[in-house]
Amino acid sequence: MVSPAIALAFLPLLLTLIIRYRYYFVLLYRAVLIRWVRDCLTGLSREERAFQYILTHATPGDAQSILDTFDHWCSKVEFISNIGPKKGKILDRLLQEHCPITVLELGTHCGYSTVRIARSLPIGARIYSVEMDERNAQVAEKIIRLAGFDEDMVELIVRPSDEVIPRLREDFGVERLDLVFMDHWKRCYLPDLHLLEGSGLLGEGSIILADNVIFPGAPNFLRHVRRSGLYEVRVHRATLEYIRGIRDGMAELTFLGIK
Amino acid sequence: MPRHKLKNTASESDGKDNEFSLYYVEVEENSQGGQEKQTTRDGKRRRERNGEVSRRRASEKRTTEVDNKRAGKKHEKRHKTARKEGEKHEKRQRRKNADREEAEEESNKEKKNIKNERTKTLKRDDEKEKDVKKKRKKHVKNEEDNANSGKTKQKDCHDMPLKEKKKKRKKPETTSESESKSESESESDSAPESKDNQAVGVLGSLTPEELEKLKEAVDERKKLIATMRGKPWPMKKKLVVLRSSCVLQRQETLLIISFLYYSNCQKWMKFQRDFENFKTACIPWEMKIKEIESHFGSSVASYFIFLRWMYGINMILFGLTFGLVMVPEALMGKPYGSIPRKTVPREEETSAMNFAVLWDFGGYAKYSVLFYGYYNSQRAIGWLKFRLPLSYFLVGVGTVAYSYMVVIRTMARNANEEGGGDDTSFNFSWKTFTSWDYLIGNPETADNKFASITTSFKEAIVEEQESRKDDNIHLTRFLRVLANFLVLCCLAGSGYLIYFVVRRSQKFALLGLENYGWWERNEVNMVMSLLGMFCPMLFDVISTLENYHPRVALQWQLGRIFALFLGNLYTFIIALMDAIQLKRAEEEIVKTNMTIWQANLYNGTVPDNSTAPPITVHPADIPRGPCWETMVGQEFVRLIISDTMTTYITLLIGDFLRAVLVRFLNNCWCWDLEYGFPSYSEFDVSGNVLGLIFNQGMIWMGAFYAPCLPALNLLRLHVSMYLQCWAVMCCNVPQERVFKASGSNNFYMAMLLVILFLSTLPAIYTIVSIPPSFDCGPFSGKTRMFDVIQETLESDFPAWFGKVFSYASNPGLVLPFLLLLVLAIYYLQSTSKTYKRVNMELKKKLQTQNEENKKKNKLAALKAANELEQARKTGEQHSSSSQHTQNSEPPVSSTHTTTRPPASRGHTSSGHLPGHPQQPQKNSHSNRK
Repeated sequence: MVSPAIALAFLPLLLTLIIRYRYYFVLLYRAVLIRWVRDCLTGLSREERAFQYILTHATPGDAQSILDTFDHWCSKVEFISNIGPKKGKILDRLLQEHCPITVLELGTHCGYSTVRIARSLPIGARIYSVEMDERNAQVAEKIIRLAGFDEDMVELIVRPSDEVIPRLREDFGVERLDLVFMDHWKRCYLPDLHLLEGSGLLGEGSIILADNVIFPGAPNFLRHVRRSGLYEVRVHRATLEYIRGIRDGMAELTFLGIK
Repeated sequence: MPRHKLKNTASESDGKDNEFSLYYVEVEENSQGGQEKQTTRDGKRRRERNGEVSRRRASEKRTTEVDNKRAGKKHEKRHKTARKEGEKHEKRQRRKNADREEAEEESNKEKKNIKNERTKTLKRDDEKEKDVKKKRKKHVKNEEDNANSGKTKQKDCHDMPLKEKKKKRKKPETTSESESKSESESESDSAPESKDNQAVGVLGSLTPEELEKLKEAVDERKKLIATMRGKPWPMKKKLVVLRSSCVLQRQETLLIISFLYYSNCQKWMKFQRDFENFKTACIPWEMKIKEIESHFGSSVASYFIFLRWMYGINMILFGLTFGLVMVPEALMGKPYGSIPRKTVPREEETSAMNFAVLWDFGGYAKYSVLFYGYYNSQRAIGWLKFRLPLSYFLVGVGTVAYSYMVVIRTMARNANEEGGGDDTSFNFSWKTFTSWDYLIGNPETADNKFASITTSFKEAIVEEQESRKDDNIHLTRFLRVLANFLVLCCLAGSGYLIYFVVRRSQKFALLGLENYGWWERNEVNMVMSLLGMFCPMLFDVISTLENYHPRVALQWQLGRIFALFLGNLYTFIIALMDAIQLKRAEEEIVKTNMTIWQANLYNGTVPDNSTAPPITVHPADIPRGPCWETMVGQEFVRLIISDTMTTYITLLIGDFLRAVLVRFLNNCWCWDLEYGFPSYSEFDVSGNVLGLIFNQGMIWMGAFYAPCLPALNLLRLHVSMYLQCWAVMCCNVPQERVFKASGSNNFYMAMLLVILFLSTLPAIYTIVSIPPSFDCGPFSGKTRMFDVIQETLESDFPAWFGKVFSYASNPGLVLPFLLLLVLAIYYLQSTSKTYKRVNMELKKKLQTQNEENKKKNKLAALKAANELEQARKTGEQHSSSSQHTQNSEPPVSSTHTTTRPPASRGHTSSGHLPGHPQQPQKNSHSNRK
């Protein structure tokens, strides 16, 4: 029989773990527990609740207002893993530097990043936003329309990304992608990148931006990207959206072209 | 880095060969300077006979002499060396001839030369043209002119009489240089161009002193010859004087001796260098530590250096105990089984060879030289009359005394090194421009060097950041107080837990340990090692609140863990004391039982009046006391072993297993394990250092009762050196903030000293105040352990010595002596303080002087720049005015621009000093023109 003293000796370990990984516990609480409770209480999905909040609090047609409201809801009320304001600034800067004409977004989710990208695109540019989940896509469309972007600007595609990418050329007449933003399932980063490479849509100077490469993390993706030699890689270090203390990063890949 | 040295010896030796060949050339030349006088003599003698020949020879000699004159000047060597190479063989031959004084042979040879001369002169003209072209490519213009003039002079040379040539010697050097050049070109047709450059490169590696010496020797000779020439002496006298003045007349011997000297010198230098390399290679683990330092920074390296130091200390402790206690007892003492204390008792015999003996140290291990109880109290053993009890006591005291001495000496030495703040101005520039070692010739070394430079940059950046940090002071203070409070709570909690466990275990011991399971028996150890493992982690987490510089944080961390371990240690000691009391009570009972048993033995079996031999009872059956000293030693050994095991297992699980999991599970995990949650572990400097220090404390405490402890510790340190080196290099990552840790070495030492003091206290207490067991150990039968000294004094020394000793130990003498000691210490300390202060002041003075110099230089440079600017401006004005250009700028604006001080330079600038004359500017202007 293990004596209580030995059990007590493990207390410092417990305390250490709790203190060291407190941010992860916070994340667990906010992203899982609160969501579960609210889902049970309201009967709505998380995205729909977010939309309701935005509808009541944001100014329609004002993209900045919608983004701010989103940030407020995500940091104060519930948690949705959008790109967030801090990493969003990196995205904004990239868009301003490169002025892409054709943008592919993988993983629309609630449309936060779509609005963010569409806001700073030049006239005549076009976003193809891919979302797999039907309900999320509905919410995203509503939010995008609310922000004042029409169908010419944002094309929402409700299909899995691995089906969409090979058919982009035939179905949508895309010749070249200037920017690809990846924020869907972290496991799909690598296969989708392979698909993109195979499709020939990437030209020299095309940029691929992948969110959350460190937490939750896409190690295989990073490894492939570093080894393949096709890209110039930069990993922007930041923290996870809406939660301090968890390190995360965005990978910015510049396609160098096949030599 | 020694590694570099080793790796580069090959390349260095190559360089040395070159150097050597150069020396050879130099020596030859040197001899030529001397040889020249002989040959000139010959020339004089033969002048009448063969005028032209001698002239030609003389002209050659002259050029060589001119060369010798300027042997030290490196840039001229460039032109010379090619010739030297070419001429070498010819000259060697000629020297032989001169020695043998065989004029005919020489003249024959020279006749050949005459034959060839006509064709040669034709060739020479062409070559000179080529030569000039080459030089045009290579050298600056004026040199070309010289070459041309030299060419013409060269032609004249042949017709000129000898005396004229002698005069020409004093002509400006440039012409003669060019002559020699052109001649060299003509003579050494085949000398490759590349050799020239190479030789020049090697020349640079000659030490200036050697060059100076050579020059001096040559000059002396020349002076002698010059003075002799001027004197109206007959030839014979001149020769005699020359011979007598020179110590080494024969050129051959001079050559040989100097050659030998230089070659030996080279060999000696090479040997010295190799020996240095060998010495660094002999320092144990130096390479490993350097490698670790280059990858993990000096903080991690400091731990390993400390470990190595500790290893050295333990080696000596081991040597003392092993050589003076264990080996004599094993060789000369009574063998196993002869007396009860040297035999396993009957009831333990069944389990004496169990596997558990290996870590429990019971059974046969307990009744061996490894523990106190085995030693006999016989005063002198063996044919050497070795005083074992005395030796045992003195070794016990000596090890501790030696440890004190070493620790304090090392601390004093380290304190010397610290001395004031170091000069950190331009730290980063120094690091940037001077850190690379250009002698590195192997990729692995280069990698290491690269890593070490990067680490040193990181360290410097951390220092710089720390010096520039300014935060909310109140918040920081609050957080620091809070952190300390939390740590104190934690310490108190763990202290209480240990106290509780010890109490419980005492209760178990009273009731008999056999009734309880493994968990209860090992509860104290378990709790202590668990706390020792987890509390530092908690402290580490708490210390992030404090926001200290990592070095300071490390010291705080060390202090806290020190307090924690100290608590553990003292509870352990208290528990041990209780156990000793119990054993002693038991011993009393055994003593009384013993007499009863003996009485029974004799009474029961032997009639009173019989003369039969006394009954022999097997020593295993004789009842004996519970030897508390052995028990103490055994406890310490067990503690050390469990501690070692815990360390290694933690290392294997916490570092290695974790690294393996992180590395290989990363391929199929949903988040990034390497960057994210578990990651690789960092090397825990504070924990490891303290582990080492406390381990050493245990050794010091227990070594008196278990002579095997230093040996065990040696083994442990040896293994952990290799294991930890491997673990660090293969499973750890460098800390995020790598910091310089040269200063913390003395901190380690200070802690070691404290531990040494604390661990000697209980040992001394037990030795002085508790009587030794009656039937085991070298002091059995005495009332106190230190009685052995008195006994020795009485029986082994003459009577007067004992008297002197008793007088000396009189308090009336001892107290003044102590007082004197204290006074001396005080005096030394105060003087050292004064010296330190003076040192600091001197350093400051130097620094301020440096800065002043810098300022002055800056000012001078600024002034010069201003003058230049002005000169240029005035020059422009001049030219513009002289050319009368129409669109010249108005003079007012131009002067304004020149006299305006540059805005950025601030106070140091002084656009135009009021008293400064304008004249030099014009001068400079004219010079420029």
